[in-house]
Amino acid sequence: MAAYDGVRRLPRQMPLWLQATSLGLSLVAVGIASYLTVTHYTDPAALACPDTGIVNCTLVTTSSWSVVLGMPLAVLGLVWAVVMTGLTSPWAWRAAARWVDGARLVVSGTGAAMVLYLVYVELFRVGAICLWCTAIHVTAVCLFGVILAGRAASSPRVAAAT
Amino acid sequence: MSNPNTGSSRPARPSKNTNAKTNKNTKSAATARRAARSRASTRSTATAAPPPARFRSRHPVIAALVPVGLVVAAVATMVVIKASGSSNPPAAASSHLTTGAGAGSTDAADTGATALSPDVVAALTVPTATLNAVGSPASDALPTKSGSSSILKGADGKPLITYIGAEYCPFCAAERWSLAVALSRFGTFTNLSGTHSSDSDVYPDTQTLSFYGSSYASPYVDFQAVEEATNQPVGGSYATLQTPTAAQSALLAKYDPTGSIPFLDIANRYIISGASYSPQVLQGLSRSQIAAQLKDPSSAVAQAIDGTANDITAAIVAVTGNQPTSVSSSATIAAIAQKLGA
Repeated sequence: MAAYDGVRRLPRQMPLWLQATSLGLSLVAVGIASYLTVTHYTDPAALACPDTGIVNCTLVTTSSWSVVLGMPLAVLGLVWAVVMTGLTSPWAWRAAARWVDGARLVVSGTGAAMVLYLVYVELFRVGAICLWCTAIHVTAVCLFGVILAGRAASSPRVAAAT
Repeated sequence: MSNPNTGSSRPARPSKNTNAKTNKNTKSAATARRAARSRASTRSTATAAPPPARFRSRHPVIAALVPVGLVVAAVATMVVIKASGSSNPPAAASSHLTTGAGAGSTDAADTGATALSPDVVAALTVPTATLNAVGSPASDALPTKSGSSSILKGADGKPLITYIGAEYCPFCAAERWSLAVALSRFGTFTNLSGTHSSDSDVYPDTQTLSFYGSSYASPYVDFQAVEEATNQPVGGSYATLQTPTAAQSALLAKYDPTGSIPFLDIANRYIISGASYSPQVLQGLSRSQIAAQLKDPSSAVAQAIDGTANDITAAIVAVTGNQPTSVSSSATIAAIAQKLGA
């Protein structure tokens, strides 16, 4: 009898604590990105951030590099964080569709790649570091790590076809 | 079912015509190959490090985190490169030292082209109470209205402030202090460097800062600065540092036909041509001494620099639509704005 007959893959069974961690990190990212977005449209100079030379949030968030194709990076960050929150929600973890798993990996990986670019811009183009941006960078890399670790720690479940 | 594999995606399956003997031989050969692989694997495990594939299978989580490690390593590398580079003088200061004809015969202290000390940078943010106490002394010249009704804006739509000066120029040396103090109320400078006016001109060796190589970020205004020359004499003139763009030259030609510097265009609404106060006030003072006096409203330095900064500030809020309100709400600034006819 063929073992390949009538099987379907179920969503990865990621450990519950990893699911909670990923959702928590996503919500942290939403919080930080929301703060950056609000201050971007109200008073960028009001960011709660020390101005000690290399650390200068206003300089970073108001530089010409803070807008990509007419869209403020703060807004793009918020969109990314909201999408990640959706992809790490309990409903997404339970989703049977395989694209959800792939999207989670791609979106979190895109976030980590953007971190590299943004750190480069901060250090070598703007010449200053934004602490709030750094916080969301750390969150994005950690989220990527959690997603990867979760994928490795869990294997796709297989169930008999109905 | 005649064909139990129908609909599956198995890559290979035996032909329907394969007889039982062939199947048996095939199974025997496969068994032998598996056994040989198993023996070889056992030998290699005993004598060599496990290959990456085995590491991945034994430590899947650690292996999966390799991309994260690469990201962290890349960020760490960038930080190290930046940290090692920042111990050198800023590019602006370096170019000052090598541009002038006397670069080979003078030392860094003579050129004054050094990174601005943190104390001086911090002093440019003058407390609002001090600025309000200084007000607008009558001895300071006010910006003049250009007569233009439109507000010149930069690439990102913010009112554009254009400064044209030169490092040898003592009047520019004086004006830069005020401009830096005023702009510090609207945004942040980075990489400002310290310099001084020519040793052989009037008000010699006036200590100041240079906008060359610096950057400025503000949510309210754009700022473009041009330092046309260094303070290093070359053949009866001074070594060229920056050249105004065609647009900047056009502004200069329109609003400052004599071409005198410093020239300050505040979004085409207000113009300053020449220094707003006498550089004599700064004579004999080091940058640190000037910076220290900025917060003392009774000092002649604060009266000159902070007073002119207030005048410039009032002109700027007139083109930003009174933004930010933390600046425009000052009674001092409102009073000066009224004098400016804003």
